[in-house]
Amino acid sequence: MRRTFVQSLALYATVVFTLAMILFPVYWLLVTALSTTDELYRLPPTFWPTDPQWDIFARVWAAKPILLWLWNSMLAAIGSVALSMLVSVSAGYALSRYSMRGGATMGMFVLTAKMLPATLLVIPLFSIFSSFGLIGSLWTLVLAHSTMIIPFATWMLKGYFDTIPKELEQAAMVDGCSPVGAMVRVVLPIATPGLAATALYAFVLSWSDYAYARTFLVNSPDNWTANLGITTMQGEYVTYWNDISAASVFIALPIIAIYLFLERYLVGGLTAGAEK
Amino acid sequence: MTDTVQAGRRKFFDLARPSRQHLLGYILIAPAVLMVAAIIIWPLVLAIDLSFQQVKIPRLGGASRPFSVSNYTWLFSSEEFWLACWVTLKLVVVVTAGSVAVGLSTALLANNRFKGRTIARLGMALPWAVPEIIAVVIFAWMFDTSFGLFGWLAIQLGFTGQMIPWVSSSTAAFWAVAITMVWKGFPFVSIMCLAGLQSIPSDYYAAAKVDGANVWQRFRWITMPLLMPVLGVTLVLTLLWVFRDFSIIKVLTGGGPLRSTQTLSIMTYDQAFQYHNFGRAAAVGVLTLVICIVASLLMLGRRSKSIY
Repeated sequence: MRRTFVQSLALYATVVFTLAMILFPVYWLLVTALSTTDELYRLPPTFWPTDPQWDIFARVWAAKPILLWLWNSMLAAIGSVALSMLVSVSAGYALSRYSMRGGATMGMFVLTAKMLPATLLVIPLFSIFSSFGLIGSLWTLVLAHSTMIIPFATWMLKGYFDTIPKELEQAAMVDGCSPVGAMVRVVLPIATPGLAATALYAFVLSWSDYAYARTFLVNSPDNWTANLGITTMQGEYVTYWNDISAASVFIALPIIAIYLFLERYLVGGLTAGAEK
Repeated sequence: MTDTVQAGRRKFFDLARPSRQHLLGYILIAPAVLMVAAIIIWPLVLAIDLSFQQVKIPRLGGASRPFSVSNYTWLFSSEEFWLACWVTLKLVVVVTAGSVAVGLSTALLANNRFKGRTIARLGMALPWAVPEIIAVVIFAWMFDTSFGLFGWLAIQLGFTGQMIPWVSSSTAAFWAVAITMVWKGFPFVSIMCLAGLQSIPSDYYAAAKVDGANVWQRFRWITMPLLMPVLGVTLVLTLLWVFRDFSIIKVLTGGGPLRSTQTLSIMTYDQAFQYHNFGRAAAVGVLTLVICIVASLLMLGRRSKSIY
């Protein structure tokens, strides 16, 4: 399909304009971080600071336990992803390969679990965790995030296993492999991209949580996750917007980096369910 | 004799035997079922149970209160609940419509062939990768009452004479939440629609062109019908996201001013963790879940299977 010069120009102009509109808030976060307080509290707003305060990042890093917050988010995410993948991989494989009674019910259940509001589940979980003395511990997040991850991961992995021909395992079993061996040595290596996509998506899901962290960890600052820590920088009367913006950059970076470099996997995970 | 017994015993553990294959299936699925029972089903049953008790702060293993529907009667007679329903409905309609409009148009744009398309596609869906709380930080500052960019822009463009009180005006707060949610929500629609668009064979368009169909006709009679299944699922998933979202509203407005941004989700949470009415909170939560299930079943109908 050949475009005329004018058509090409219009297309590129539209693309650039759309990108600018969409990315402007991210740009504004940077500008806010780099502006001096004087420039922030002035109208018209400063669109690029005259003297960018690059040292704000070092100052905020020193003033707030950002590394600790990131570390806690990381622990909660790795814990919940590991726990969920462990049970979801074998469950997804079973649902894909064995016709079981209740398979359809499982499907309906996954659907319902997807609709379960975190604000509802957090209520009984709070009672359960407090009676086990877990409130304030990162384990609460490992378990709570698993409630979000297991249903979707199981179904996503079932979808991936469905795309791998059964004949591969049958061939392995004819050659003397046990059914478990066929799964571990033949199917799982082939499904690695699918496993990676699921785990990545689950990681992002866990990293984005705020409701559970706020409820279970608010009184134990040592275990604050990144999202919870950021909101505590929002003052009741005064918010230092350049500080909070600089801290936000640190906290947004890991997920944005994952997105930019591993977008193919993430998007594969997102769209897996919808195209059937 | 012993040989046959041994052979039989060996066979019992032989999972490769066709009649034992189902056993392996059940063994593989058991850990997931147990986990789900422990961290989803049991809490859900507890929550439903709580919603039928007049209880402030529940203790696990404590004597449960007598069965009562008072939480539900309180809900249905309270203005707060109906207001929350109305706010939720408004927000769901506005944000879903906004996300689909922006998401679909960016997807159509990125589906063109041009240089730098990969980077443009990444950029257009970037807000998806910005954590909700960070998006709130960005927009909270842009919607600042005294020095926010949006207020200043509104004055420059002549919409208003003075800065807009985003925090104290009900209408302004609602739109602040809605705009933030659209920015965070449209990339998902865009990603899904783009995947859907790319699965449409280009032969269809070529054939339509030969038959003399113009751009609009190709969009109306090829793109839309073929995109509908993906769009339907995306619509429902976006709707469910708005319905259940907590962090954006909670951190941006806290549900205020005067409960004008208090959705059912926020009401559930605040009843439990601000007013310590766990019973009432559970009742709101259970109703939210019921509404979510009914709404998505109605919207998807027989296609509901494709959602998972």
